[in-house]
Amino acid sequence: MRALSGIDLTVRQGEFLVIVGLSGSGKSTLLRCLNRLIDPSEGRIWIFGEEITATEGADLRVMRAAVAMIFQQFNLVKRQTVTSNVLAGALGRSPLLPSLFLRFSEEETAKAQAFLERVGLGDRGSSRADALSGGEQQRVAIARALMQKPRLVLADEPVASLDPALRHSVMRHIEALNRQEGMTVLCTLHDIDLIERYATRVVALREGRLVYEGEPTSFDAVTFRQIYGDDAVMAGSAVD
Amino acid sequence: METSAELQRQQRSPWRHRMRQIQAFVIDLLLLTLFLLMVEFLLVAFSGRRGPTGLLVTPEEVLDLLHYGWAVAGGALLALLWGLVSNVLGTSPGRALVLGVPEREGHLAWTQTMRGWFSALLIELTIFTGWLITEVQLVTFLTQFSKAADIVRGLVHPSSTVLHQGLVLLVQTIFLAFMATAFAIPIAFCLSFLAARNLTRDSFGLRLAYTVVRAGMNFTRAVEPLVWALIFISWVGIGPFAGVLALWVHSVAALIKLYSEQVENIDHGPVDAITATGASWLQVLRYGVVPQVIPPFLSFTIYRWDINVRMSTIIGFVGGGGIGYILKPRVDLGLWGEVGTLVLLIAATVWCMDILSAKIRERIV
Repeated sequence: MRALSGIDLTVRQGEFLVIVGLSGSGKSTLLRCLNRLIDPSEGRIWIFGEEITATEGADLRVMRAAVAMIFQQFNLVKRQTVTSNVLAGALGRSPLLPSLFLRFSEEETAKAQAFLERVGLGDRGSSRADALSGGEQQRVAIARALMQKPRLVLADEPVASLDPALRHSVMRHIEALNRQEGMTVLCTLHDIDLIERYATRVVALREGRLVYEGEPTSFDAVTFRQIYGDDAVMAGSAVD
Repeated sequence: METSAELQRQQRSPWRHRMRQIQAFVIDLLLLTLFLLMVEFLLVAFSGRRGPTGLLVTPEEVLDLLHYGWAVAGGALLALLWGLVSNVLGTSPGRALVLGVPEREGHLAWTQTMRGWFSALLIELTIFTGWLITEVQLVTFLTQFSKAADIVRGLVHPSSTVLHQGLVLLVQTIFLAFMATAFAIPIAFCLSFLAARNLTRDSFGLRLAYTVVRAGMNFTRAVEPLVWALIFISWVGIGPFAGVLALWVHSVAALIKLYSEQVENIDHGPVDAITATGASWLQVLRYGVVPQVIPPFLSFTIYRWDINVRMSTIIGFVGGGGIGYILKPRVDLGLWGEVGTLVLLIAATVWCMDILSAKIRERIV
C-alpha cells in the first residue's frame, strides 16, 4: 500500500492549481510531501529549481520558509494572541534567542499588524486565538502565511471546516495571494463551484494516482463521476 | 493469519515484523512459564508438605536456577506447541497483544477463545498464589482487633503536649515539600520534551537523548525516596535540607514522566503549522508545544507538591527533617496520644492542600 505512486506533476509559477479527490486519495499527503512535513519514501520533488527531498537541516528550513501552508483545522496556537500567531510566520528568518521570548523586531511587528488589517482583523491582534470564530481563525492563518513572504502556498482543504456562507470570504483572500502577490497556490477543494470560480487548472487523485488533469471549465459531471465514483452526486457544496 | 494492518507492516519492513514475532513469542513464553510455576506452587502448597499456612518459598529455592530453567523450557515448549496448533486453539495471548487479533477471531467473545480462558485461569491462579505468598490470614484479621485497640484509642484521643512543636515542624514540612518541588520544576521542564516520543523521532541525536533521559528517569524513580534520603543525609547531614534533596531527585523523575505524557498528548496541528514556517526545533517547541502544555504542567506540579508533603513525613522518619522527625520516636515509644496529634496535623494539611490544588486546577485547565 502506498499513499501516492507514479505522480509526475509540474506546477508552473503563478498557477492556482486545485487538487481534487476523495478523502484518503492522497491529496493531503501530496501537499505535506512538498514541504516535507511527510518524508516521501521514494521519489524526488523540486521547488523553484532546488530539490527539497535532498535537503536537510538549516537548508531545509530555509526552503520551508518559502512555502506557506494553510490547514483545514487552521492550526493556530490557541493560547497565544492573534499577533503572536501571525508573527510565527516570521520564525524562519528571526534570530533564535529573541524569538524564544516572543520578541520580534518592530519592523516585523508592523508587518504583522498590516497583514492583519489586510484580512480584516486589524483590531483583534491582542485577542487570544481561540476566542475567534472559525472563519476569523482561518484569516489569521492566511496572515501568518503572508508573513512568511512565501513564493508557494499550500492550502489543505482551507474551507472544509467553515460555514458554507464563509467559504468565499476565505477563498477570496487566498485568491488575492495568487493574483496580487503572484504566489503559486496549490489548494485541495471539494466544491465544484469553488473549483470553477478560483482554479486555473485542476488535477485529480484517485487511490494515490493522478487520474485527471485539465482546465476547470472542462471539469464536468462525467469527469466528476470518474474521480469520485458512481455513488457521488455533483452538487453545489456536497461531497465531503 | 494477521490483521490487514499487520500484513501491511509486514510487507513494509520484514525485519521489524520478525522482531514483533519474537516479542510475541517471548510474551507467550513468559505467560506459560508463569502458569507452570504457579500450578506447581499450588500443587506443592496443597499437598501439605510445608506446614499449615506458611508456604514461603525459601531463598535456596528462589536461587535454584536449574528449577526455573526447566520451567522456562516447559514454557517455551508450550508456546511453540500453541504456535503450531494455533489453527485449533486460536491465536495465543502474546500474538494477540503484539500482532493484533486476526479478523476471523475478532468477533468472538472471550469465552469462545482459548486465550480468553487461559487469561482468566492465569488471573485466578495469580490470586490464589498471591494469597499464599503474602500469607493472608482472614480469621486473624477479623477476630484479633483488640490487640490494636490501644493504638487506635490513642490516635482518637490526641494529646496536646506536642501540639506546639508539631505545628512548627509542620511549617517546615510544607516548606520542605515546596522547595523540593520548586527546584524540580526547571529541570523536569527542560528534560520532559526530550522524554516525549513524538518530538524526538527526527534525528539520531534526539533519539539518543530520548533513550538517555528515559533510562535516567526510570532509574531515579525506581530508587525509593527513602533511599535517596539516606544518601543525602550522609552527604549534607541530618536535617530538612537532606529531605529537600531526596524529594527533589524523586520529584524531577516523577515530573518528567507526568510532563512528557502531556507533551505526547498534544494536538499536532500547531506543531505542523510552525514547522511549515521554517522554524527550528526549539522554535517549534516554544510556539507549537509549550503553550499547549502549560496548564497541565501547572496542575501536575501542584499535585506533586501535595505528594511531597505526604512523602516528607516518611522522609523525616530517617532524619530528613519535617514532622516525621518527631513522629518516629513517639511511634517507637508507643506514645499513641502524641502520635495521634501529629497524624491529625498531617491529615489536616493534606486535606487543605487537596482542596486547594483541586480549586487551582479547576481554574487553569
